[in-house]
Amino acid sequence: MGQESWGWLIAVYLYLGGMGAGAFLVAAFFELSGWRYRHAFSPATLVGATVSGPLVGIGSVLLIFDLGAGKMQPWRIFYMFTHFESVMTWGIWILSIFIPLCLLYGLLELVEVEPFLKGLVSSRAPWLMSRVRPIRRWVAMVGSVFAVATAVYTGVLLSAVGPAIPLWSQPLLPFLRVPMLPVLFLVSAVSTGLGLTFDVVATLARPHIHDEIRSMPLIHIILIGLENILIGLLFISALNAGGAAAEGARLVMYGPLSIVFWVGVVLIGLAYPFVVHAYAIGRGRHSLASGIGSGVGLVIAGLLLRYIIVVAGIPAAL
Amino acid sequence: MRPRRVIVSQKKLSRRAFLRYALGTGAAAAAGGAGLVALHGVEEVSARSDAPTAQYALIIDTTKCVGCGACVEACNIRNHLPEGQSYIHILSKEDGANEWFLPVQCQHCAEAPCASVCPTRATYRHESGVVLINDKLCVGCKYCEVACPYQARIFDEKRGVADKCWLCLDYVQEGRNPACVDACVLGARLFGRVDDATSEVVQLIESGKAKPLHPEFGTHPGVLRYIIEGE
Repeated sequence: MGQESWGWLIAVYLYLGGMGAGAFLVAAFFELSGWRYRHAFSPATLVGATVSGPLVGIGSVLLIFDLGAGKMQPWRIFYMFTHFESVMTWGIWILSIFIPLCLLYGLLELVEVEPFLKGLVSSRAPWLMSRVRPIRRWVAMVGSVFAVATAVYTGVLLSAVGPAIPLWSQPLLPFLRVPMLPVLFLVSAVSTGLGLTFDVVATLARPHIHDEIRSMPLIHIILIGLENILIGLLFISALNAGGAAAEGARLVMYGPLSIVFWVGVVLIGLAYPFVVHAYAIGRGRHSLASGIGSGVGLVIAGLLLRYIIVVAGIPAAL
Repeated sequence: MRPRRVIVSQKKLSRRAFLRYALGTGAAAAAGGAGLVALHGVEEVSARSDAPTAQYALIIDTTKCVGCGACVEACNIRNHLPEGQSYIHILSKEDGANEWFLPVQCQHCAEAPCASVCPTRATYRHESGVVLINDKLCVGCKYCEVACPYQARIFDEKRGVADKCWLCLDYVQEGRNPACVDACVLGARLFGRVDDATSEVVQLIESGKAKPLHPEFGTHPGVLRYIIEGE
């Protein structure tokens, strides 16, 4: 069924790369906006900073397992840095810079809040302790550029194959030459990053965090609404295009992938979180369970969306 | 004042010398350029925008193809391909009541997407126009497989590398035909050098009977041309 060269492993890689980048962006936003400092200890930045490196890193390691000869002769992976015309080469360069930045960012957060590390650095390198905040701000700024690059490149990787897989090269809007997937994957990355760091982990660590940041429901609504619109545009555009793009869209909307799509992506990943946060705007708050629930929904839907798009990327008919 | 005058006069001298050099180089470049254009002109078959961009042309005449698969068999045997894998795929097409066959293989595109997406440059275009794979560089990422609009690439599971039609380059450089061409007893496959203006392949291309397949993909097929009924 559908596209058969790239499978679920690639979908997982695209997903972890996106979510890791999104988690970094959430943490960086809290850092650079100063919100992090309004509360004595902000779990949202800590989670985003520490989890983004491992997420993207694990995704990349998994990718190596999807290689053929590159698995058996791993030194060939160095050749992948050489062909700048290939989006895959762009990706390996972006990740080679982004992952270390994420890990550094995580350390710079931990050094302030984790007692053992804090003690160690304070005693061995006190000059470093006093500079942690400015260094961390700098890493947040530079890292954010690479985070956006990571999330966007996962979309460009697919859309760059152009006419070979029409579903992946659908435009953002009919009259624009900008492809849809890089934009959709960026929005989805931020949405899943926010869902993971803020809704799930930060809420579990500090249940009242939702009440403390009053604009969070609105931010969610905007992101979810935007993602909804983009997914809708993708499938409408694909159906209109006919051929393999329409075939892929049909596969998703009423074919074998339809349950995964309507329940896994639309219901738990878009409709439910949207309702939870719309309710929160109206009533001023939502229950703890629904906050965490919407986060889990966002996180699961992100993976399923990537999987669907990969599998539904049917090659153009000859 | 003396050193200054010397410097000024040196400047004037070097300006003249510069002009001499420039004109000389320019003239040489023009002569060289004219020579190259003259030489290149001999190789050009025609001014058609879909003219073959390789040294060879392989024409598949679908009006003669019956889908017997002899070409596929010959190719599989020559290349020791495992069961279920082929460089050539024969598609069954329907045109109303008319059923016809479309054998598809690597088109050896002038702007091959497989070559541009390959992160290691394992896939590249040989000087003859044939697109080849250096299996010492391939990591098996399958980006090329996904990017080929003709779905011409396969994956060799044993070696973990990409694989495809290589136009039997060893045969053709000796003046022989690729295995698939010799295997076709119905004359549905024609092969020849593009610089031979008298050859049948060149005539068919010049006349417009043999055309690129799916030119809207924008990859500019280099070697393969098709004769399709009604086109």
